[in-house]
Amino acid sequence: MKPSTLEWVDRLNGRIGRVTSYLILGIIAITIWEVFWRYGFNRPTIWVHETSEHLFAIFFLLGGAYTLAQGGHVRVDVLLLRFSERSRILLEIFSSLFFFLFTGLLLWQGIEMAWESVAMLERSQSPWGPYIFQVILMVPVAAFLMLLQGVAFFIRNLEKLRERATK
Amino acid sequence: MSIELITLLLFICLFALIFLGIPLAFALGSVAIIFSYFLLGPKSLYLLASRTSGAMFNYVMLAVPLFMFMANVLERSGLADDLYHAFHIWMGPLRGGLAIGTVLICTAMAAMSGVSAAAVLTMGIIAVPAMLKRGYDKSIVLGSTMAGGALGQLIPPSVLMVVYGGMAGVSVGKLFMGGVFPGLLLSGLFILYIAIRAFIQKDLAPALPLEERRQITWQMKFVALKAIVLPVLLIVGVLGSIFEGVATPTEAAAIGAFGSILCGLIYGRLSWEVIKVACLNTLKSSCMVMWIMIGSLLFVSFYFGVGGADFVKDTLVGIKLSRWVIILGMQLVIFLLGCLMDPAGIVMLCTPLWIPVIRALGFDPLWFGVLFIVNLEMSYLTPPFGYNLFYMKSIAPEGVTMVDIYRSVTPFVALQAVGLALCMIFPEIIMWFPGKMIRN
Repeated sequence: MKPSTLEWVDRLNGRIGRVTSYLILGIIAITIWEVFWRYGFNRPTIWVHETSEHLFAIFFLLGGAYTLAQGGHVRVDVLLLRFSERSRILLEIFSSLFFFLFTGLLLWQGIEMAWESVAMLERSQSPWGPYIFQVILMVPVAAFLMLLQGVAFFIRNLEKLRERATK
Repeated sequence: MSIELITLLLFICLFALIFLGIPLAFALGSVAIIFSYFLLGPKSLYLLASRTSGAMFNYVMLAVPLFMFMANVLERSGLADDLYHAFHIWMGPLRGGLAIGTVLICTAMAAMSGVSAAAVLTMGIIAVPAMLKRGYDKSIVLGSTMAGGALGQLIPPSVLMVVYGGMAGVSVGKLFMGGVFPGLLLSGLFILYIAIRAFIQKDLAPALPLEERRQITWQMKFVALKAIVLPVLLIVGVLGSIFEGVATPTEAAAIGAFGSILCGLIYGRLSWEVIKVACLNTLKSSCMVMWIMIGSLLFVSFYFGVGGADFVKDTLVGIKLSRWVIILGMQLVIFLLGCLMDPAGIVMLCTPLWIPVIRALGFDPLWFGVLFIVNLEMSYLTPPFGYNLFYMKSIAPEGVTMVDIYRSVTPFVALQAVGLALCMIFPEIIMWFPGKMIRN
């Protein structure tokens, strides 16, 4: 992959992150709507509870890759900071393998789960019974985006290592 | 393989990965996958997708991003500036007054936000330079701000309590009530400490100079009081609706988020930029928490799948020691993890493993949950991994070194430990308020 491709991954996840982050405004708005009607006029809505759950699921699933790109997934770097730069890069590369294991399997298992869900146009079990296959579909999408970002980090680390070797 | 050996290997691998710097979420997830594959076979991998979808539809956890958003907007709303101004005028003439005022503002902000960042960042920018300028000692200035900021997680609303409630199946509303008095206790201990030290050491935290005091008129004092109107409304709106049982914590969080936007509008500080940054910060922090949750659900469902639940319970309950020794041991573990790990991660790792033990020993999971959070107060201040230390470092004025920051927290961590001990010796500090409210 060329550097431009890596930048494209950054930009893609940056854009998805920014758009996804606005979902929280939607969640606030519909929850306020529900509170207003239920407590104000004793007329609860049937759709707010589930819709906000679904928006929240999409929110944190799709935001995972953006958070990764921003270094937002919390980690313990007490030891890491004591190593030399070279060993740190090597360690990052080693860590990536575990990350790939997790996101790769999540992608694979997520596709299987989403496949079934989409094929039967899965609906929720509640009385309102909205479609939920589109939310389930976000699991493999999220795993794919995170994997993409992880691969971008991986390649950058390899390049850093190569640059150091040629110096 | 025996369960003892599995447990040992599992936790050695987990902590090895965590200390190699793998993000907590992925360390939990990948360890669970590797162990499941070898011990339960490839078929067990379906758990990965099913646990993820189990975490997905979660109305309780929805309160987490909402409270985070609220804190993010409040932080930039200008509300803290006005509050500080009011306390400056009222408390400044007293020795140590500005530091006490800072703790009081942090206490008020803790009742408006469920995170510790908001108070530390705003007070770090407003109050710390102001106090240093007036000759306050660095250690009191930094320590009181960071310790006060940590109250955000103990005084309701609290993101950590939402996480604990979600994992332990304890009512978030009751946990919030349980946190009220321990939070006020800690706040009171901090204030007492500052007051006593300022009284004994004359130059530690001097009163405002006379000419500055002369400028303060009674009219100014009363005008400044209007700064507390909005915070009071916000606190009553959010906590009141939870405690009165008219709204779920998630709904109250949305009310609070909406209220914080209104506050920003009223103070004239709200811009699209503020909303944008708040949305992005909320996304980042809540994704971190939710992905750790996915990892921890996976980890726990593997461990329980091989009999870990019974093993932990039988081992701890079977020890021929007082149940209080076990509680103390757990507190020690939380404290040690708190030095090294993210507090939300600690809650998600320990809660599912310990809750069966807590129930079997005859303790109330509500009491234990609040105790857990009181303990985690220290984790915000204990190096090497303490959020408030990082926040303070990121905004500290020139001349404040990391050593200053580390040194300043010691007495406050000790006070937090005293608070923790009091909550263990007198469980009523936690249990009285929830019991009182629920009887109504």
